[in-house]
Amino acid sequence: MLVMGEVHTGLLQNSGEISESTCRQVLGLMAGETVRVSRRPIVHALSPERLTGVDCALPTASRSRVRGVGTVVSRCAVTGGRVAQGSSYARVVRSEADRRLPWSHYLARPGVVEVLGKVKAADLAEGFTGDTVPGRPDGACLDLGAVSGRFLDLVQQSPLLDRRAPFKIPRTNLRWVAETGEPSIRFTLHAEQERTLRLTHPGPFTPAVVDLCEDLATHDWLLTSLLVIVERARIGGTPGAQAVARLAPAIDHLMHLWMPAARVEEWMTPFWESLERRPGFTRQWRSLVDRVRDQVAMNTLALLSATAEAGRRSP
Amino acid sequence: MLVFAISDKGGTGRSVTGTNIVYRHALQGNDVCYLDFDFGSPTAGAIFSVSSVARGTRENGLHHYLRGECPQPRRVDVWAESDREGLRARPPGAGRLVLLPGSEGGGELSALTDEVVGRCVQLLGRLDEEFDLCMIDVSAGRSFTAELVLAATVRMPAIPFRWLVFHRWTRQHIIAADGLVTGADGLLDVGIRFGHDAEDLRDRIRFVRTAVLEPDAAELVGLRDEQRAWLSACDSELRELAGRHGVGRTAMLGKIPLDPVLQWREQLITDEDVLASKIANAETAAAFEELAKKIVDDSAWEGL
Ligand SMILES: Nc1ncnc2c1ncn2[C@@H]1O[C@H](COP(=O)(O)OP(=O)(O)OP(=O)(O)O)[C@@H](O)[C@H]1O
Ligand SMILES: [Mg+2]
Repeated sequence: MLVMGEVHTGLLQNSGEISESTCRQVLGLMAGETVRVSRRPIVHALSPERLTGVDCALPTASRSRVRGVGTVVSRCAVTGGRVAQGSSYARVVRSEADRRLPWSHYLARPGVVEVLGKVKAADLAEGFTGDTVPGRPDGACLDLGAVSGRFLDLVQQSPLLDRRAPFKIPRTNLRWVAETGEPSIRFTLHAEQERTLRLTHPGPFTPAVVDLCEDLATHDWLLTSLLVIVERARIGGTPGAQAVARLAPAIDHLMHLWMPAARVEEWMTPFWESLERRPGFTRQWRSLVDRVRDQVAMNTLALLSATAEAGRRSP
Repeated sequence: MLVFAISDKGGTGRSVTGTNIVYRHALQGNDVCYLDFDFGSPTAGAIFSVSSVARGTRENGLHHYLRGECPQPRRVDVWAESDREGLRARPPGAGRLVLLPGSEGGGELSALTDEVVGRCVQLLGRLDEEFDLCMIDVSAGRSFTAELVLAATVRMPAIPFRWLVFHRWTRQHIIAADGLVTGADGLLDVGIRFGHDAEDLRDRIRFVRTAVLEPDAAELVGLRDEQRAWLSACDSELRELAGRHGVGRTAMLGKIPLDPVLQWREQLITDEDVLASKIANAETAAAFEELAKKIVDDSAWEGL
């Protein structure tokens, strides 16, 4: 019917970026299973997947009661040794039975949640990502965000991290729904840290869809965080050296991480390209990066001319 | 940085001083939040002039959250939701100022379970990712709430935290403040039981004197010489007493003068109150501002 997921993204709670081998240890949540690491064009480490059993109401825009039973897939990721994620998703399908089956049935279908009773895909999709239902789902409802948040906590609480992150920054939450159909993509910014994504792709669901959503969440977080840091610097409202000092964390820790669509399969790149046209992630990122670099350059020039001036006065 | 605000006695000035400190810290350019863990009477909303949560919130308050009744506690952006004109716009350069209100009619925590501690750890850990300073009003005296945060901080060894013990400048308050820290079932006692290191914990505790009337204060100008001499003698006696109880100058982070505005109403002291309407004393605002700096100034927190 459809796939729904939620990705939480935050700054890894460590003073510096962590090495590939530390990434492996931090993400090795399950003994015996390996962490998948890709190195080019940026180090990306992905934990083994874990299942969470659910038997609860599903969010619907119509507020009709829909029961879902099955399992949710979750995993954690670290990008560039710096950006941490907790990500969960479930494929929602109609159940062939009209009552709950033994757990062995659901365990044999990892990442599938079966709907008992009647429901329209659009009702679920709207319920999960629509504007009509503001705020977070209530306690009785499937809350993928709560699961993803806990997985991100697992990473952040790792004893291998020193918790001395270079700056304070909120997490962002991306809720997404993917369906099969005529290709389209819609990304929406909501209040504060909430974002939603509606994706329609040709052919059946594959995990590459999840990779795309995670990649998008990473870049939305990078952009959001750079905007916050630039705002905090108060360029123009504060002495240049001070503004540059406040921009330093962005230069040290964020600016080299922008690698859109790096982990996205070839056939999915048109989705990224569409988002690059509107809202234009990379355009906004570049303009911010230029702004940061210009500030640093101007401040360096000012320092140089001040030094030269001082040199002329006292030969 | 997590800062736990506690006092032995109620009505000490813990909430008024704590909220004014985070307000000043936000003005100094930091992202701050205030957690109303005073579950018996969560009134921080009133001090921030957010009338919708003046006595806590009916839904998604901190108490609901700790009991597992909601996935995340409600957050109130004070710059957006305060009823006070002077607070409703974020001044240029100021950081975020967020209140996490308690639950209306929530009542004190009645037991300390592993789930409750786990939720507390999760909440404080996440807030520490995004806020420079989180001030937690732990309520007065020995309570499950104090035990809760002592248990939680043991489980987050890498997250820096500090304690502020508020007390008035009287015999009873000085002795009580010392007792709350070093007495039976006091902070150190309970902290050690939960696995804190005694010396380490001791170094993270400082005292704050509230509503202090200095013998040379302007308010006392009209007094007779005999009265002034008597006050002065009292003050030095108290200083000696405080020293003996480990509540003296070295363990003190700061003191807030008695202010006429605060005596009449629990509120934030804005610069407008000092400069424009002139109802509050400049010394009071300056004392809050200094405390807001000292709270994160490591040199003020070197070992005793
Ligand atoms: N510096 C001050 N000068 C004058 N009055 C003050 C000062 N600080 C606090 N007060 C007043 O003291 C009273 C108690 O303050 P507050 O409510 O902050 O105490 P509390 O310790 O939080 O009390 P409770 O334990 O009931 O929560 C209030 O009326 C407050 O306005
Ligand atoms: Mg109070």
